[in-house]
Amino acid sequence: MHFLGLPSSTLLAIGIAAGAIIVGLYILKLRRRPVPVPFSNIWQRILRDQDATSLFSQLKRILSLLLQLLLLALLVLALGDPRGFASRSARNVVVLVDGSASMKAVDVATTLEPNRTRMEAAKDEAKKIIRGLGGADRMLLAQMDAAVTPLSTMTGEVADLEASVAVLRATDTRADFARSLRFATDVLRGLSSPEIIVISDGNLGEPRDSAGEVHLGAASLSFVPVGSGHRNVAITEFSVRRYPLDRDRYEVMLELYNTSTQPEEIELDLIGDGNLVDMTKLRLNAGERLPRFYPNLSGARRTLEAVIKLAGGGHDDLPADDRAYALLPDQRRIRVLCVTAGNTYLEAALLLTTYLDVTYLAPGEYPPPSGQSFDVTIFDGVAPRPAPGSGSLLYLDPSGDGSPVKVDPAPLVNVGFDTIDKKSPFLKWTAIDDVYIGNAHKLTPQPGDKVIGASEKGALLVTGRREGERFVALGFDPRESDLVLRIAWPLFVLNVLTEFVAEDISYLSSFRTGEVWHVPIPTLSDEVWVTSPGSQVRHRAPVQDGRAVYLGLEAGFYTLEVGPQGGAIKSEFAANLADPEESSIEPKTSVVVDGKTAGPVAGFHIGVRSEWWITLLLLAMAITTVEWATYHRRITV
Amino acid sequence: MSLLDIFKRVSAPIARMSKRPPPPAAEELFDDDFQRKLEYLAIVSRRVFAGRVRAERRTKKSGSGVEFADHRDYVPGDDFRYLDWNVYRRFGRLLVRLYEEEEDLSIYLVIDASSSMGFSSKRKFRYAQRLCAALAYVGLANLDRITIVATTDRIEERLPTARGKARIFKVLQFLRGLEPSGTTDLGDAMKTFVAQHKRRGLVILLSDLYDPHGFEKGINVVRYNKFEPFVIHIVDASDAALKLSGDVRIYDCETGDEREVTVTPKVLAQYRQAYQAYLSEIKKFCTERQVPYVPADVEVPFDDLVLRVLRRGGFLA
Repeated sequence: MHFLGLPSSTLLAIGIAAGAIIVGLYILKLRRRPVPVPFSNIWQRILRDQDATSLFSQLKRILSLLLQLLLLALLVLALGDPRGFASRSARNVVVLVDGSASMKAVDVATTLEPNRTRMEAAKDEAKKIIRGLGGADRMLLAQMDAAVTPLSTMTGEVADLEASVAVLRATDTRADFARSLRFATDVLRGLSSPEIIVISDGNLGEPRDSAGEVHLGAASLSFVPVGSGHRNVAITEFSVRRYPLDRDRYEVMLELYNTSTQPEEIELDLIGDGNLVDMTKLRLNAGERLPRFYPNLSGARRTLEAVIKLAGGGHDDLPADDRAYALLPDQRRIRVLCVTAGNTYLEAALLLTTYLDVTYLAPGEYPPPSGQSFDVTIFDGVAPRPAPGSGSLLYLDPSGDGSPVKVDPAPLVNVGFDTIDKKSPFLKWTAIDDVYIGNAHKLTPQPGDKVIGASEKGALLVTGRREGERFVALGFDPRESDLVLRIAWPLFVLNVLTEFVAEDISYLSSFRTGEVWHVPIPTLSDEVWVTSPGSQVRHRAPVQDGRAVYLGLEAGFYTLEVGPQGGAIKSEFAANLADPEESSIEPKTSVVVDGKTAGPVAGFHIGVRSEWWITLLLLAMAITTVEWATYHRRITV
Repeated sequence: MSLLDIFKRVSAPIARMSKRPPPPAAEELFDDDFQRKLEYLAIVSRRVFAGRVRAERRTKKSGSGVEFADHRDYVPGDDFRYLDWNVYRRFGRLLVRLYEEEEDLSIYLVIDASSSMGFSSKRKFRYAQRLCAALAYVGLANLDRITIVATTDRIEERLPTARGKARIFKVLQFLRGLEPSGTTDLGDAMKTFVAQHKRRGLVILLSDLYDPHGFEKGINVVRYNKFEPFVIHIVDASDAALKLSGDVRIYDCETGDEREVTVTPKVLAQYRQAYQAYLSEIKKFCTERQVPYVPADVEVPFDDLVLRVLRRGGFLA
């Protein structure tokens, strides 16, 4: 036995001092209350009988003293927090609790706890381990999801460890098993009897990362499996986008995955802005992945959710992947600044769609008044330095010091496109390989730029980035070619505009949980706050290259606030689990790491770590109660 | 014994005295109502003893009275006038006629003025004072010789012999001046009493008989010296119903003898039994020795008790 509380010398001093006081008080005896009686001879008659039992009375008094000393001894021992010696050497244990999405499965639900999840079962297992710790054992509890999060220090304090168990929660991500194991081995390095205990459903993937396979070293590995069911149908992909030229309508692509070993009848609902947009009944065979495409949908302006449920009612074992979220692109018009001295063909092309908000400006009036920003700026025959807020840039026959590419002043006469990048989205649905160009200038791209079209004499159509903004440069005036007479001309203009704006739209449809997101922000600011779904707590996100960097662990709609509080610009983005491996929830019975199969947990028995001070205090209270009861019934006096 | 212990022992009685409730005023003892009751008792006593000559009490002393008492054998020197010649003629024996000598009855009222009589708000002592006053008045009204003596372990106070109703105020004044204190020793006190009073008579003892040396001694001293004892035992039921519990240190209100006791219901029951046994012991003692014994419960009105005493006989008869 050893003491974790006060040192033995202090306990001894307290015991001796308090014991001396008690014995002293017994020797001195408290003066009894004096009471007069009229005739003491009568008392002497009855006390004569009691004197006959004086020996017994003295014994009872000694017994009372012994009881008091026993109480003192119990209290002093309790102060010392005595612990029994462990029958083996002290263990150092790292418990890794799986916090991945599959731990949200409710296949361990009971009648009393219909919403009991695998995580709840894992918490119970963790508590059993904590209560089974030996007197000298120490333990660290960590949650493994997209990251590994230690929830306690390496400690033997049961209260601290149990408090950390309460913090455990399942996320909508997959577990980074390799990183968690590396963390555990790092923690246990150099400690005696190292042991790693994994509490999980076993869906952890391979213990391998970019650094290779994880090696456990001297640490032993134990595995506590949780979970039993495998019935699950998941939404593994979900994406939505508006039609560029009909922004009232949109199309949806999703993928369903039946991870069960039996066919499932399901109902799929699409919900736009809280209203049902589409409902479909589907049948998925065991293990089947079913992609679905929903074109020409309408009825939602901002948010779209896909929800699946079993046709017979109820839900499968993992409700977390039965719902997916997407954000429709903003329906606002594309703001276009056209810097031109006048170009009928260009103006005609921009009139073909009503989703453009075009501002015309003469070259001499550029730049526009400050405070105005545009999604796209078209420079027609000029190339001044772009003003802030110009957005993406389209140059037609650029000339000037602001040109993103070097323009050869020597004209190219009677040329055409000899080479064309037909996969370029700028040239989608166009046919320009036979366009006749009367007068052009050779463009010299910089490294990183991409030539989309070129004649034998040089590049004529180049795209790239300058200072974070995309640009497209056309090396000739369209009016000096027959391009403007072709259907390809307005298509090219609209392709450029759609591509410039559509890039961000597609990016914002939804993110995948468990990955580091780079969320575009609507305005440049270092103050970016992200609010998780269903939470009121804001987290500040760092900004890198005009994007907020954030690791999201939950599926749903996030709120993004950019700018100082009070004047912040709010926007939203969506995130989904979308992980077929995580949706495959059939629990595994073993985990193999470093070529070794994890064994069952052993040596943790509830009661091994008896905290005796509680027992001692209870014993002292019981003795006090008995002494009190017997005293008041005049048994021990 | 340390200095502290000596101080505690000396100061303990003072501390105890200061804790006692204040006694009732002595002036209230013999108020007008009390005096009206005395007069009533005097009238009643006359009815009880109607037809008897006042102030004439036959004593066992043979003498020159007119009432025949007995015969005895003639011895030389006897007066011939008292020879019973009729007996001599019939039986041939010389017998002398004896006559009861008539004399005034001396009544000695001995009131116990020890501390135990003042226990529990002096109820017993006040009761004894009233009883004593009532009996004295009845005696004075019947022209008896009344003497009142207050005792503890000695004769504390003495009211000289009085006769006639007019002396009742002296009696009341005497009684009013008494306060209970000191220890009880009836044996020593009665020895002093019989030495001081040669005239034999009725000795009415008003006491709680809490005598650590034994109540028998005092009564026997009276008996052995040819006085007629009459015991009125002042009893307070609260003496048997002490409200005690727990660990206490009891001390005798007279002697100060201490004893540590843990009082339990069982102990209290034993005490009550011992108390009743003590009372029975006194009664048995008096009965066996033909000593008139009247228990006087302080809860009983004193006038009722006086009547019981009168009817009990031996007092005026």
